[in-house]
Amino acid sequence: MSQARTSLFKRHENLTPLSIFVGFIVIIVIMQLVTQGTSKYPTFISGVNLLNILQQVGVPGIVAVGMTLVMISGGIDLSVGMLASLVSIVTASGISKWHLGVPGAIAVGIMSAVVLETIMGFIISRTKVEPFIITLGGMITFQGIALLVSNSREVILNGELNFFKTNLIAGVKDPSTGLNLILPPYALIFFLIALLAGLMLTFTKYGRRIYAVGTNPHAAYLAGINVKNMRLSVYVIMGFLVGIGSVMLLSRVNTGIISLGQNMEIDTIAMVVIGGTALRGGKGNILGTLIGIFFLGSIGNAMNMLRLPSEVQFVAKGLVVIIAVSAGDVSSKISEFMARRKEQALARSNKDVQGGVGGIE
Amino acid sequence: MGQILQLNNISKTFPGVKALQGISLDLNEGEVHCLCGENGAGKSTLIKILSGAYQPDEGGEILLDGERVALNPRLAMAMGIQTIYQEHIVFDNLDIIENIFTGSELVKGMLLDRREMRKRTVEVLQYLKSDLVPEMRMGELSSGEQKTVEIAKGLVFKRRVIILDEPTASFSASEIENLLQIIKTVKQAGLGIIYISHHLEEVFKIGDRVTVLRDGRKVSAYGMDGLTKSRLIKDMVGRDPSTFYQRQKVPIGDVVFEARDVSGNGVRNVSFKLHRGEVLGVAGMAGSGRSELLNVLFGSARLDLGEILINGKPVRHSSPKSAIKGKMCFITEDRQNTGLFLPQTVAQNVAVANLVNVREFVVWPAKDFLTGDKYVKTLNIKTNDSKTRVVNLSGGNQQKVVLAKWFNTDGEIFIFDEPTHGIDVGSKQEIYQIMVDLLRQGKAIIMVSSDMPEVVSMSDTVMVMHKGQKAAELAGEEITEENILTYSIGDSAL
Repeated sequence: MSQARTSLFKRHENLTPLSIFVGFIVIIVIMQLVTQGTSKYPTFISGVNLLNILQQVGVPGIVAVGMTLVMISGGIDLSVGMLASLVSIVTASGISKWHLGVPGAIAVGIMSAVVLETIMGFIISRTKVEPFIITLGGMITFQGIALLVSNSREVILNGELNFFKTNLIAGVKDPSTGLNLILPPYALIFFLIALLAGLMLTFTKYGRRIYAVGTNPHAAYLAGINVKNMRLSVYVIMGFLVGIGSVMLLSRVNTGIISLGQNMEIDTIAMVVIGGTALRGGKGNILGTLIGIFFLGSIGNAMNMLRLPSEVQFVAKGLVVIIAVSAGDVSSKISEFMARRKEQALARSNKDVQGGVGGIE
Repeated sequence: MGQILQLNNISKTFPGVKALQGISLDLNEGEVHCLCGENGAGKSTLIKILSGAYQPDEGGEILLDGERVALNPRLAMAMGIQTIYQEHIVFDNLDIIENIFTGSELVKGMLLDRREMRKRTVEVLQYLKSDLVPEMRMGELSSGEQKTVEIAKGLVFKRRVIILDEPTASFSASEIENLLQIIKTVKQAGLGIIYISHHLEEVFKIGDRVTVLRDGRKVSAYGMDGLTKSRLIKDMVGRDPSTFYQRQKVPIGDVVFEARDVSGNGVRNVSFKLHRGEVLGVAGMAGSGRSELLNVLFGSARLDLGEILINGKPVRHSSPKSAIKGKMCFITEDRQNTGLFLPQTVAQNVAVANLVNVREFVVWPAKDFLTGDKYVKTLNIKTNDSKTRVVNLSGGNQQKVVLAKWFNTDGEIFIFDEPTHGIDVGSKQEIYQIMVDLLRQGKAIIMVSSDMPEVVSMSDTVMVMHKGQKAAELAGEEITEENILTYSIGDSAL
């Protein structure tokens, strides 16, 4: 009896990422079929398009990795979008207005992100105020600072950061379409960061403690873990990753502007949640987040290829998040229901057997 | 002085436990009927039956005004039985009037009749000679004042029976006096009161009759004439010690842990010595400062004054981290909330406390599973392997995971807070055996327990706490239920 329950539970717990993954494959297949007929454009599964997706998700992906750490520890960070805008404006201003030189400007940009996240992390870890509220306040504040720094204007670069989008595989052509393949460094940086974070969560003391703090902070404290500093540290890491991501973002568009990071917090939280990380903390991993990142990225890309207007894309994306996340729960409810039905049927048949042949025994 | 309530032959069986057996009881108008008994004697179960939260087994009956009734919580209230539980179940953000009337608001058409509600509240508060203002927010009141409001609620709705479960547990002396005065007033209004308290002096001040329960049975019932406290205590304990768990003794070694005049967290001037191979039992009533003391010893609450010595060397624990490095282990009472990471695996739970001692940068999950599996085997944890999530284990097995977590840190000083709380009899014996094994390895145990037979059978020395202070230290033949209970109640005038 308890045996059956354990296996049932095990089957459920990875359902969200698993169902996402299945949905992911289904969407890819559909997209492939839909885009196959039009000879003008590359089909969905083609070197050009897959690398294209990678370019699109690289920056939010870096931030989503940080968000995964924060959310496993039981926190959340709503400020990342506006912080990214702020960093890109600071970095762009550093280069074009303050003449700090490219490395200096990048350093100042990343440091400002780390400092601001550290301040929020400090408040979150030392008080009982919800991280939701603190980072909401951060989001508004950072927006204001960004507008002040830029005088509410855009800060334009002359390609000083083009290094980050040099094509690492220049000259390689897609065998099917003959188009140039592009693999910029920031796509690799994204993978490197994801790999490091994944290994850290599984194979270091620090990673273990993030899970412990997110699962049960009080028990973690009594197990000798410095809960406050753990909470602080994930925000510091988050600041560093947002800093790197923003510089990459700036290099892509060559313009520091307030709209750069808009909705990034929503996109990254959606990616992380789709990847199976629990909002209450203690559960989740980088692999799931990667699935979430590419799932959302592919949907966006597919809708672009289908030339859907952006209004429709928002509706579709939103619905996908809701369906994806509730699918796991609904399917577990269904299988629970089926298991109960089975048990009842079994009990009934047992009764019948006992009633029918009771005399023989 | 008519009879309001009568219970005949009430029993209650939970899976595996007979919580109550054949209890009969009655209550008259204008009477305070006290229930006495140790923790686990069945008082709370009996109350829950009266409030309708539990249904009694078949064969018993509850008569209200001579008529047989079947109660559920709504019905019990409608019939005039109000239960005031030990923990406050109040709305902190609402004021006194709203707290009284929430759920049965008075209305005029569609609107709340605030004026009428206020009028009735004021009437009752005046009757109780209370100086509370109806607009005060509940969260701002002391626990004594909150009890007053709950009693006022009973009067507002013209209840006939009020049940008070350990009402004075967290009260100051003047608050107790106040409450007893209020109860006397309520009694004069003709209500029947069932009063549960382990403070015997309160029982003697306001009781008209006393019923003593022990292990789910009614032991005796008395009027107050000629009744003595020692008589009550004898009835409350009165078990046969030969039926207790028989523990093997282990030779006592050197002092491994010492507390000198430890104060802080509500504890004052506690001193004791703990030797290798020794179980120091810590007894006392709920609220006597036992758990508070443990938290100070483990560094999870501040030590204001005094000294802690491990192996003769003074230490200062600023947090549990340094205590764990000092080879201390703390098996908390509320294992689900403070001891375990329920959604995680057995292996993860076992590994977590020892992270303090891990020097390597890389930790291998595979190694954790090996360690976990080792403890699954040695502690006989009922699961296939250490990949099982702790949430799926039973209480006894969860407790073993907590033990494994601490064994894995290689600790030497074990603090147990209610080690067998909520654990079935079989696992209980296993945990006792594990404790004895620890002693054999030269380790030492501090054990807080409310389970009297457990304290008597497991302890080499017993320290009794009363109101945050050490009331007595008992050893050898002195360790009897009667002695422990006497010092716990803190009453010298027996």
